[in-house]
Amino acid sequence: MSALNSASVSRSVHSVKPTKPWKTVKKGLIRLLFAIPVVTQLYPLLWLLLYSLKTNEEILDGSFFSFPKVLQWHNYKEAFQSGHYLKYLANSVFVTGVTMICVILLSSMVAYAITRFRWKYGGVVMLVFMMGMMIPMQTTLLPLMIIFSKLHILNTHASLILPYIAFQMPIAVFILSGFMRGIPHEIEESAFVDGASVYRIFREIILPISIPPVMTVCILTFISIWNEYILAATFISKESLKTLPFGIYTFVSQYSANYGDIGAFLVMGALPVILIYFFLSNQITKGMVAGAVKG
Amino acid sequence: MKVLKVSAGTIAVFVLPCLVLYICLVFVPILVSLFIGLFDWNGIASFSTAKFVGFGNFNTMFFHDANFWPSVRRTLLYAVASMLEIPLCLLMAILLNRYVRKGNVLVSIYFTPVILSVVVIGQLWKTIYNPVSMGGMLNGVLIWLGLGAHTHNWLTEPKIAMYALYFVSLWQYFGYHLLIQFTGIQNLPSEIYEAARIDGADGFKADRYITLPLIVPIFKISIVLAFIGSLQAFDLVMVMTAGGPAHATDVISTHMYNSSFLSQKYGYGSAMALFLVVICLIFTSIINGIFNRIDRKVS
Repeated sequence: MSALNSASVSRSVHSVKPTKPWKTVKKGLIRLLFAIPVVTQLYPLLWLLLYSLKTNEEILDGSFFSFPKVLQWHNYKEAFQSGHYLKYLANSVFVTGVTMICVILLSSMVAYAITRFRWKYGGVVMLVFMMGMMIPMQTTLLPLMIIFSKLHILNTHASLILPYIAFQMPIAVFILSGFMRGIPHEIEESAFVDGASVYRIFREIILPISIPPVMTVCILTFISIWNEYILAATFISKESLKTLPFGIYTFVSQYSANYGDIGAFLVMGALPVILIYFFLSNQITKGMVAGAVKG
Repeated sequence: MKVLKVSAGTIAVFVLPCLVLYICLVFVPILVSLFIGLFDWNGIASFSTAKFVGFGNFNTMFFHDANFWPSVRRTLLYAVASMLEIPLCLLMAILLNRYVRKGNVLVSIYFTPVILSVVVIGQLWKTIYNPVSMGGMLNGVLIWLGLGAHTHNWLTEPKIAMYALYFVSLWQYFGYHLLIQFTGIQNLPSEIYEAARIDGADGFKADRYITLPLIVPIFKISIVLAFIGSLQAFDLVMVMTAGGPAHATDVISTHMYNSSFLSQKYGYGSAMALFLVVICLIFTSIINGIFNRIDRKVS
């Protein structure tokens, strides 16, 4: 650190020339520092991709950096055919989609009521939601299992969607109410005077204005629900209802000897979210930060 | 100021669906746990056969379960270990802000593992940790570096397995904490730095006296997220070792899960779930307390 400091001092005192070699070294060091995490964070993923295109023999020789001689695309074909990939994918899309719609609808209504209505219990309701933030989802596994089996909805998508909605609610309400509190009152007032109902104001004024925080909620919900594994593995046992993470787990434990196929299935399992991240990385990182900072 | 005066019915329409659903799925289960935790019940037979044992389950948990306290210790170690990388992330974030013009591109690259499902991460690292005979990458690298003596069966040796898990967690969330700190630094008002430069505080001096104090709230968020996240650590352990070998990687929640669903001790599992809820509440308030104190000192 002190070396860097003195370098900047000497640069300001002397002319540029004598500092040049040091500058190159410094630049190199900094590049190296930032390159190391690129390798450690991405290479395992690249390694998996290579792994998925190899034969069992190539995988078992234990080299950590080698290209497959012939790209074994048939690994993907086999993983695709024996693994119900599309079924799992469709289930994940359905469960995540329904959860997202319900979370946004319900949480924006509550956030609106908390921040804009004149009533006594707004603060209490907010507190109830915030308290839930500290309750770990897995502690409700067992009681929910008992409750759901009494209601006969175990082994249905409802048994996933309902708790997913509930556990996304606190952060969603928090983010949305934080935003709605700042919407100027004049907008609603004039609409109210003009005779618009509360429902219409909510639908046609508040919701459209709230698109940015709604997007944040969408992203947070998507990432956590799309990847959720434990509830899915506990409440679902029917093959045709499994979501992608649980499906991957099932596939891997069933075909434990076909390394290439497993690799291929893992890549296919990671692919949807990687693709989405590739196109929306800015929105996603922003959303995740907003979720972290506001939560 | 809240402008809209609406009827109670309207409020109910806006609030009740969500609130009822929420209470039924988050708070009612806790009450159910509280109730079942007082019984000895295997979950298969109807509840009428369950035996009331009062606080017997808690007694067993605290005094007669050889695996309980070690799992608590591992959970706390997990939480501490997960915080260790955050200062490093802060340092990286400061340097990124200083030296790289398009730092956010790098940060989004580092962030990639965060968005992947824990199942993919877990299986990926399981294959990385495999013995060389099964194509494991880590042991391959060690042999290549001439450190063949240090190869291990990372996930099946009881003494090492837990550290192997900590590492995966650190790896996955490195980008997350870096992103949070990086964004935090970017959002600091640039006028302060300009003023400081005029006063002669530049470079690392500015970091020491401006960035560090101002970043405390963001740093706190990272710490809290890491700490609470690892108290709840569950799915990664479930996917990679399920608490094995021989309970060597059991944390509170996997111990709870295995007791309830594998050993069919529903009452006991519920008692442990309650313990987990309480421990999360306690530690969240402790951390918040510590940081409030730091906040006051700094500002």
